[in-house]
This record gives sequence, C-alpha cells and structure tokens, in this order.
Amino acid sequence: MKKCDHFKELILTDYIDGELDKDSTGNLENHLLDCSDCRIFLKEVKNISALPFKQVLQQPVPTALWDTIKQNIEGQNQVTSPSFTDFIERLKGWLVFPRIVPVFASFLLMFLAGSVTLNTIHIQQVQAKDQGEYLVSLLSPAGPSAPSDNNDLGTPIERYFL
Amino acid sequence: MEDIAKDILVRASQGDMKAFEDVYKASSSFVYNVAFRVVNNREDALEVAQEVFMIIYNKLKEFRFESSFKTWTYRITANTAINFAKKSSRTKTVPFEEDFGEGAVLNEAQTRMDQEHQGKLVEKLLGELNPDQRVCVVLRDIQGLSYEEIAQSLNININTVRSRLKRSREKLMSLKRLVDYEKV
Repeated sequence: MKKCDHFKELILTDYIDGELDKDSTGNLENHLLDCSDCRIFLKEVKNISALPFKQVLQQPVPTALWDTIKQNIEGQNQVTSPSFTDFIERLKGWLVFPRIVPVFASFLLMFLAGSVTLNTIHIQQVQAKDQGEYLVSLLSPAGPSAPSDNNDLGTPIERYFL
Repeated sequence: MEDIAKDILVRASQGDMKAFEDVYKASSSFVYNVAFRVVNNREDALEVAQEVFMIIYNKLKEFRFESSFKTWTYRITANTAINFAKKSSRTKTVPFEEDFGEGAVLNEAQTRMDQEHQGKLVEKLLGELNPDQRVCVVLRDIQGLSYEEIAQSLNININTVRSRLKRSREKLMSLKRLVDYEKV
C-alpha cells in the first residue's frame, strides 16, 4: 500500500508530466501491470486533471490589444520625450541633493576648522609676545613703567606731554 | 512562444516600434492566453496583457540577455497575472457544482464534443484553484512548460512547482466525487 502511495504521487506529478527518469518510469510501469488500483488512479488523473487542459484551444488574441498598447506607448513617449528625459537626468546628476551636499558640507567644515585653528594660533602668538615684553620690562633697571625704546613713539605731542 | 532574434530585441529596446511589434507578435498569444487562464475572464486578461507589454517595452533596455527572453517574458506574465488575480475578487467564478451539476463533470470532460464546453470546463476547473496553483497548471498543462521553466518563471524551487501541481491535481481529483465515474 505504501508502495502504491509512492507511485500515485509520481503519477500525479512527474510521470504524467514526462519529467520522470527512465529507470523510475520503468519501475512505475511494471507496477502498473500488476496493480489495478494504480491503473484506475492513472486513468482518473489523466481524465480529470490533465486532459481537459491539454486539449483546450488557445484563445485568439483580440486585435484591439496591439492598438491599445501602441497608443499607450505613444502617449507615454509624448509625456516624456527622450531629450527632455536626458536633460532632467543630467540636471539631476549635477544638482541632486545627495551629491552636492556632502561636498559643500566638507568644504564648509574644512573652512571653519581652518579658521578656528589659525585664529587660535594667532591669539597664542599675541599672548606669548605680550608676556615676553612684560617680563623683559620687569627685568630692565628702569622698572616696568620705564618706556622702552620700542614704546617711544617719538611724536612731538607725546614728547611734550610725557 | 516563438523565438525572437537578438537584433530584433536590441532594436525594440532602442524604441524601434516595428521591432517591438515583432516582439509582440511572437509573444502575444502566450501572454494573452496565460493571462486569460489565470485571471479567468477576457476583460481582465486584456488589462493584464497590456500591462505585461508596457513592462516589456519599458524594461527591455535593461534586459542583459543573461537569461532567455522567453523566461523573462514568462516571469513578467506570470507575476503580473498572479498579482492581478490575487487583487481581484472577480477571478473566483461560479462554484463548480452550481454550474455543471452532479454527475456532469467527467461526462463533459471526457466527451468534449465541442470546444466551447471544453473551454468552460477548464475555466471552472481553474476557478477551483488559488492563483499560485492556477498559474502552475496553466504553464504546465496548457502552455507545456517544463518544471525547470516554471521554476525559473516563478522564481521558485522546482520542488515547489512539483508540490503545487500535486496539490492542484489532488484538488481537481476531489471533484470526481461529483461524478458517477462508472458511466464514463
């Protein structure tokens, strides 16, 4: 019985569809010679689930189908002519958000980082210079208030008041 | 489905309408008949066939000839028809028993005196299957595709094809209870 179940499964699929290999086909056909139950099953499968489909005629394609498809294509081509589409695609390539923004953002970041760094260096240089001058003035014999040669602006008005 | 020369496909992909008409002529019978059997009515089949050819027209420029054009067309047709059938409630036709009555199915299937009744019988039988099973039966039994071709068209395993066909046929076999088989 189990053997019949196996053969019936093959009959339902590979055997009736001609997909069964030669050896398995031979085994099945030998079994069919001895088993009337499987022979009846094969007949039923052929009559009910295969034959009606294999014999049905192909439907003629309605002539209106091509006309409609052609109209659809022409309509579609009018809406987006190739040159216009190409232009849009090229424009997109240049201006599209995802491409331009990272590049612009990178430049902006580099500019900002550069400015901050240069400014910091400049402030540090000025502070170091001021500190140095102050220390030098402390060490000089005239004291911190004595004007150095560098501080002598030398204009007549300054000489008058100072 | 007829074979189509590569140069015709290339020209069609470049927008040559004459070449595309040749593509249509070679494949329209397959596309329309699969659509008709899967959606099970003429108006919907026309709609599906139109959609299939618009997809072919628009996607042909992306076709790289890595698979055969036939398989590609089978796949587009099957997928479009299945999607349509799943969305549409109209595909489920009148229940089998109501239209043919007890004892009439096999007599009609076997005598098949005229093609109109044969066609109607097929419509009713297919109406008993779900869209996935239906497309397998249509591709195998009506269009004669191999299991391998069906598997490629539906992008499924060959054993899934086998199991869908088995379940479909078991379901169709269950209808034999409606029939006085001895009279056949």
